[in-house]
Amino acid sequence: MLKTFRRAFVLSLILVMPAFADTFVFTAIPDADETRLKERFQSVADYLDSKLDVDVRYIPVKSYAAAVSAFRNNQVQLAWFGGLSGVRARALVPGSEAIAQGKEDQAFETYFIAHDSTGLKPSDDFPMDIKGNTFTFGSKGSTSGRLMPEYHIREAFNAAPEEVFERVGFSGNHSRTIRLVEAGTYQVGAVNFKVWEKEVASGDVNTDDVQVIWKTPTYPDYQWTIRGDADQRFGDGFTDRVRQALLSMSDPALLEKFPRSAFVPASNADYEPIRNTAEKIGIID
Amino acid sequence: MDAVHLRNLSAAYGGQQVLGPLSLQIQPGERIGLVGRSGAGKSTLLNLLYDQVRDRAALVPQEQGLVQALSVFHNVYMGRLNHYSAWYNLLNLLWPQRRELAVIEPLLERLGIGKKRRSPVAQLSGGQKQRTAVARALFQNAPMLLADEPVSALDGPLAHVVMGFMTEAYDTSVVALHDIDLALAYTTRIVGIQDGQIALDAPSHTLSPADILPLY
Amino acid sequence: MLASPTVRVTLIVTVVGILCAFLGDLAITTVNPWQDLKDLFLGVVTPDFFSIDQVGVALLRTVAFAFVGVALGSLAGFLLSLVFGSRVIRIGCAFVRAIHELFWALIFLQFFGFHPLTGVLAIAIPYAGIFAKVYSEILEENDPTPERVLPEGTGRLARFLYARIPDALPHLVTYTSYRLECGLRSSAILGFVGLPTLGFYLESSFSQGYYSEVGAILILFYVLIATLRHWARPRLIPAYLVAAPFFLGDGLPIVWGNVSRFFTQDIVPAPIRDGDGLGALGDWLTQLLLNEALPGIWNTLLLTQIALVCTGLVTLIAFPLISRHFGNRVSRGGGHVLLVIARSTPEYMLAYILLQLWGPSMLPAVVALALHNGGIIGHLIGRRSNEIQLRPDAPSGFNRYSYELIPRVYPPFLAFLFYRWEIIMRETAILGILGIHTLGFYVDSAIQEIRFDRAILLILVTALLNIAIDVTSRRVRRYLRLQTRVTCEGH
Repeated sequence: MLKTFRRAFVLSLILVMPAFADTFVFTAIPDADETRLKERFQSVADYLDSKLDVDVRYIPVKSYAAAVSAFRNNQVQLAWFGGLSGVRARALVPGSEAIAQGKEDQAFETYFIAHDSTGLKPSDDFPMDIKGNTFTFGSKGSTSGRLMPEYHIREAFNAAPEEVFERVGFSGNHSRTIRLVEAGTYQVGAVNFKVWEKEVASGDVNTDDVQVIWKTPTYPDYQWTIRGDADQRFGDGFTDRVRQALLSMSDPALLEKFPRSAFVPASNADYEPIRNTAEKIGIID
Repeated sequence: MDAVHLRNLSAAYGGQQVLGPLSLQIQPGERIGLVGRSGAGKSTLLNLLYDQVRDRAALVPQEQGLVQALSVFHNVYMGRLNHYSAWYNLLNLLWPQRRELAVIEPLLERLGIGKKRRSPVAQLSGGQKQRTAVARALFQNAPMLLADEPVSALDGPLAHVVMGFMTEAYDTSVVALHDIDLALAYTTRIVGIQDGQIALDAPSHTLSPADILPLY
Repeated sequence: MLASPTVRVTLIVTVVGILCAFLGDLAITTVNPWQDLKDLFLGVVTPDFFSIDQVGVALLRTVAFAFVGVALGSLAGFLLSLVFGSRVIRIGCAFVRAIHELFWALIFLQFFGFHPLTGVLAIAIPYAGIFAKVYSEILEENDPTPERVLPEGTGRLARFLYARIPDALPHLVTYTSYRLECGLRSSAILGFVGLPTLGFYLESSFSQGYYSEVGAILILFYVLIATLRHWARPRLIPAYLVAAPFFLGDGLPIVWGNVSRFFTQDIVPAPIRDGDGLGALGDWLTQLLLNEALPGIWNTLLLTQIALVCTGLVTLIAFPLISRHFGNRVSRGGGHVLLVIARSTPEYMLAYILLQLWGPSMLPAVVALALHNGGIIGHLIGRRSNEIQLRPDAPSGFNRYSYELIPRVYPPFLAFLFYRWEIIMRETAILGILGIHTLGFYVDSAIQEIRFDRAILLILVTALLNIAIDVTSRRVRRYLRLQTRVTCEGH
């Protein structure tokens, strides 16, 4: 009985007070298979927990915007963002910085994939004949699934995607983009090349039905971003310790979760090109 | 109780005059029987009357005004809700008080519905409901009683029991009745209503059924 | 026949619906839509209850959010219903219930984040608006004479407790328990935007094509709703209410600074926030209205009207399935199962599933809305038809349907259909989040772009459109002299 009362008391405290448990919370944009997010990042949480002297917790989110909001609202202090979501988050949280990126993120690519029935063939130049098909992006807030492909579509056709394609959709994440184009729900799609390669390697894609028809020029993408007030809250030098822990991650099983071969240092300035592109197509003010 | 003077009473439904204008005086100790064809305006007159004398009258409306989900006891008790504090009323709602039971039980016994004390009104027959409504007015014990066909669903002897009880409890009353014999037996004055006007007003003992019959 | 207002209104609504169907986009764009449907079916018949370790917790959270949200909503709604005579209160309630639970959740997510309060308030606030309206209708339909005969000087509390509550209580309880069922659906749906309820896992599994997991979650959900009356017994409700808050999960702590920031900065239109002056605000508004609000309103209305007509069709086809004037016990049993599935599946879930299978157009949304709402009204009309006594020599088959039953159930049918008009519109708007270009699509885009000023304005537009439909529907019902019963199950 007493226990119930105590529980109720604690609960009412949680409800009315901005409780700051000193747990270091991080999240990641849900860019692929959402059913496996928890098992994907729990091991990363355990790794960080062992390297840092605070409790580390991972929480899954449903959308890119939710990841940015949680970061902005200080409910998470560290996040594995895409290029665009990182730019957005850092603009909203003064002092926050990009501290590490995947080795591949320095030169990231988007693949345009097409269903076999379209008859589209791989090419080195932008495939102008995708016009008139149905097309799906990934998440509305994705760099590789929305920002970069939309940028190249606008450059090539000098028109908005809605005018170029018969129908435009947002699948939500990269693995779903692959599913949808594979099933023919959409004829063409834009997908993160790392997710594509991982799914092809694990045999989850039927490459008879769907194939890559074009690869974008490279651009900077995913990065770890930490809040500017992390040192103040978790102690001096905390940001450096987090950066060090990420850069020294060498267990292939862990790196496979991202999937990246290694992490390298990153800075806010690396992502200026992304910010410029986003401004150009009008999805940030 | 002072005499009640009502002047220029009138009522209209949808632009159609259904009652009055008429005037009526009620002296203390007078028991008035309202008679007339159905639709003549008896209920309308009673309701207008009630609006004027709310502070000193108990009403038995034709539609009885019972709360179907509450027991007979609670419905009767509602006649005196204004006598007690909100807390006592709340307590009595959840847990019927012995003090109230002691008064209400004999009342119900006399009306022949003592066994139904705990039953929700919804489960009663038409006649039992009517007696519950009468019991409420009796329990209320106001200076004056207004009743609209209070015994219409009761047969012969029972109608007399109820009318007798009401006569005993209330010196001053206005009761609408369609039964001419009952009206003559239990009232001191007959007011006949025809087409919204008073067509007859005389002491009961001066009238015979044949005098009233033309009103119907 | 044309002189009858009922026939005229039916004709107008049907013609408008058909016109909208021509203007709307109803294509199936998937190359092989039936393959996925087959896979889904196979998944549902081979459910895998053990692959998702969190599903038990999600089930618990779904129930907990529903209980706490509906309880708070019903309490607030009851208090509001007492002062529902006030115009301000009435408009306020119409406004909060015009905004869908998911929109409320999306708003609260921005400043409460992943705190249980987000889910609880997302249910409690719109439900309070609905409860206030229906409770006050129920109290109003009460017989007024018991109050009239109370002796003068009776206190307000005693007057209320004795003369009004007892007779209204069964109706209030019936309606509240019906709402609890809706609350479970709402609670499950909140998972789609990230709360830890069933929808969270349903969406994840579905997007990956793990149909056996989808099957397991759907079956759990149906069982939860179908057994509601067995485990949610009146005696147990207080115990559930006490326990529910402890099963909401911890979430993450609220940072109160975010709340004030949301209201003082985030939702202030960008030109004002940046001090660009009124001219810029004008441009900003014009752009937003022209490029997002207007197309959103257009698509929302198109879809609503098509769905309304299809709901009517589904109802007219569905109600004989459970009517005692047709078929036998076995066929009626099957009909009941079909209708239960149709009405317990939230339209949002159904639309989500069909969109994946058939590709992006209005068709999946129309079918989802028509099946769900047709299931609900079909159930009500079927029950109503069971109260009808036919003469022993009444015709059978189609003649019985068209001559004996339809003329009798048509008025209540229209009443329920127009009652749900507003609800269909609210759902239509929200389905935009799934990618159909109704208002919800633009709201979701604004939120994904962290432009809450735009999101809030578009949500306001949605609410106003909803209120406009509500007013129109009431006018039509008054014109046709249609009345629904006090339980308002059509809600």
